[in-house]
Amino acid sequence: MSYWALNAFFLGFVALVAVAAVVSRRRPRWTAVALAAVVLLVTTAVFDNVMIGVGLVGYDENLISGAFVGIAPLEDFAYAIAAVVLLPALWHLLPASRRPSTGSGPSTSSGNVVGSGPSTGSGNVGDGAPRV
Amino acid sequence: MGLLYLAALLVALTGMVMLDRRFALFFWADARRAAIVLVAGIAFFVVWDLFGIGLGIFFRGETSFMTGLQVAHELPVEELFFLALLVYVTMNLYAFAGRVQDRAVSGRGER
Repeated sequence: MSYWALNAFFLGFVALVAVAAVVSRRRPRWTAVALAAVVLLVTTAVFDNVMIGVGLVGYDENLISGAFVGIAPLEDFAYAIAAVVLLPALWHLLPASRRPSTGSGPSTSSGNVVGSGPSTGSGNVGDGAPRV
Repeated sequence: MGLLYLAALLVALTGMVMLDRRFALFFWADARRAAIVLVAGIAFFVVWDLFGIGLGIFFRGETSFMTGLQVAHELPVEELFFLALLVYVTMNLYAFAGRVQDRAVSGRGER
């Protein structure tokens, strides 16, 4: 099985979760997903090249397409695409913790999430966070 | 030398936690949901890795930068931290992008 065939299987699963999120009206904010995707793909291009360059990982040349970004197989970018769709979709599918502000969390500007989270003396956690 | 990659990953992860704490992006936005997303995300990508390794598509490189410890055949312990970093970076970016978007929208609204 080629790397792309393997990726198709897992990207298919990601698509299913994304559809589930949309159908249940808990879809992620696609603009934010797109913005994050751009940064993540550029970051992947840089660090994947470094990781392959220093020999952290190797590939069977017969199972990859031969399309590269530098020395990184194009297939590797499927991980970044999967992450940036699957994880926000999963986040929104999960019910928010206790706090009444449904949809609080990474994608919203609701101020009342500041100071929640790990209880490490979080009184000043939100200080200076960009508020609108 | 064997700790170099692991150390680099831990430094990067620490940076992500600091950003999360500073801007309330992921765990500091909703710790319970973040924990589930982190664990589920790592599990998803580990399974993907294991299939890739099992099918012989990719494999651990012979390098002196890794500890040599493996959690499964050809799956170095470093990969777990790499995948944790991937999840954390992704969610921090997503949250931050949403914040930027909110700012842009409210900026327009104020005229």
